[in-house]
Amino acid sequence: MIELRELTKRYGPALAVDRLSFEVRPGVVTGFLGPNGAGKSTTMRMMLGLHRPTSGEALIGGRRYAEIRRPLHEVGAVLDADAAHPGRTAATHLACLARSNGIGRARVDAVLEQVGLASAAHQRVGGFSLGMRQRLGIAGALLGDPAVIVLDEPVNGLDAVGIRWIRSTLRALAAEGRTVLLSSHLMSEMALTVDRVLIIGKGRLIEDTSVAEMRDRFERDVLVRTPRPADLTALLTGHGATVTRTPDGDLVVLGLDAPAIGDAAAGASIPVHGLTPRSATLEDVYLEMTEESVEFRATALEGALR
Amino acid sequence: MTSSTIWRDAAAAELVKVRTLRSTWAFLAGGVIVTAMGALILYFLVQSYDAATPADRANYETADPTVVTMPFVMFFVGAIGAMLITSEYTTRSIGPALLAVPQRRILLAAKAGVAGIIGLGCGAVFALLAFADARLLLGDRPAPLNPWPQWTDAVPTVLCATVLVFVTCLVAVGLGAALRSTAAALTTIGGLVLVTPMIAHFLPTVWHLRLASVLLPNLTPQLAGSDHPYLLSQGGAAAVAAAYVIVALGAGALALSRRDAS
Repeated sequence: MIELRELTKRYGPALAVDRLSFEVRPGVVTGFLGPNGAGKSTTMRMMLGLHRPTSGEALIGGRRYAEIRRPLHEVGAVLDADAAHPGRTAATHLACLARSNGIGRARVDAVLEQVGLASAAHQRVGGFSLGMRQRLGIAGALLGDPAVIVLDEPVNGLDAVGIRWIRSTLRALAAEGRTVLLSSHLMSEMALTVDRVLIIGKGRLIEDTSVAEMRDRFERDVLVRTPRPADLTALLTGHGATVTRTPDGDLVVLGLDAPAIGDAAAGASIPVHGLTPRSATLEDVYLEMTEESVEFRATALEGALR
Repeated sequence: MTSSTIWRDAAAAELVKVRTLRSTWAFLAGGVIVTAMGALILYFLVQSYDAATPADRANYETADPTVVTMPFVMFFVGAIGAMLITSEYTTRSIGPALLAVPQRRILLAAKAGVAGIIGLGCGAVFALLAFADARLLLGDRPAPLNPWPQWTDAVPTVLCATVLVFVTCLVAVGLGAALRSTAAALTTIGGLVLVTPMIAHFLPTVWHLRLASVLLPNLTPQLAGSDHPYLLSQGGAAAVAAAYVIVALGAGALALSRRDAS
């Protein structure tokens, strides 16, 4: 379990993280989302004792990270895929981490095998691709078989195979009852990986919800195709729905869900040829939520070229 | 789990790290090269001495090879100590290091412990090599050319040269933690042990002696109590050496514990 209580970080006049409070629970994959500059990495660094909070606290298993002795047994983290000495081999890099926490050499070989780097164990990290470095980082996070996993942008720069591997690995870790927190600025990528999302913007918590709740909350309307639009419009309006017609002659129904529309139409013997619930994509919802938090915005290309 | 157990594990990890840094071996090679060059210079000096008249021989200065080689050894071995921490900032591996050992002062103490072992070990080896050069090349030639007519005369100098390499290595770890940059740390160590002693020569005699007396390489003869022109007693030299370590490691500990990691 990770708990943040009123966590705040100020760099001079700039407020990077603003009284952030949330909990990350075990057994699910939690996504930590926000646009670039929202304060995700700073928050994670404070969580892991790398940055000192201006005020507030971050607790992992009820303790501040700096108080945990042999922390690799309790928390595994990857904040930067490039944070390994390029002159060392993968096995030596992990051996240094393992030795510092009293972890045996056999575990180094085991995690290298687990992340698919066994054949590259004795190659220098400097020659690794980004995907291999991400895998090495995750191997380091898994060294102590920890109950809490924290990953900052773990799929950045990965190919499809790597992304799928990370997804399945994180889901498997959460299924074992571990607390898994990963950050990203891409909702599309998170939608396939996480169960819960914490969305921040300008250092503040905007939303703490599940992906399913997010989808439900932003379900918009139902598109109905019928050969008797006038009859169906009258029927649904009678049921309290608001119905409009598209230029194609289809109906857009607000206020009734698809099963209710289907049942009503069947009861009145009105044929229905198509019934499509339409919701905003998670990407749309996320962009809407973080609209005011985007720090840097490009002008639309079309407008810029005018 | 006690702090000493954390320190022991962290120090063991630091030993693995220092062994697997290529720069460690490059700096050790630097120490070997400078020791070999010291021997070569001494060889030519002995050739010149043997060819000189007895009157000229009396004007030869003491051919103590530690005076020539040990400042460079201090630089190279000190650089190993500095790289223990600056290489982690340079390669961003300070993040994983602090995630593994978040007790920052213990991490610095582990690095200092390893630097101390390296400083003592390398200091002893290079000081003994310089002594062996002198014994082999000077043979039974008399003083003033031969600084150690009896081998036992060399013991204080060899021991104190070892101690000063140890001190430099600890100072380098502290500087590395405070400065976070390999370039800045190596420049500062080079300035302390190689450049400032040369610059001091250009000062008026009184100021030269005051400044030179507190410079790391010049603490060796003062600590050993051998013949030297400097101002400090053996106790004074020991206090100055201790002050270097306390100030550098204190500054390093303060910087490491107060600043954000990266």
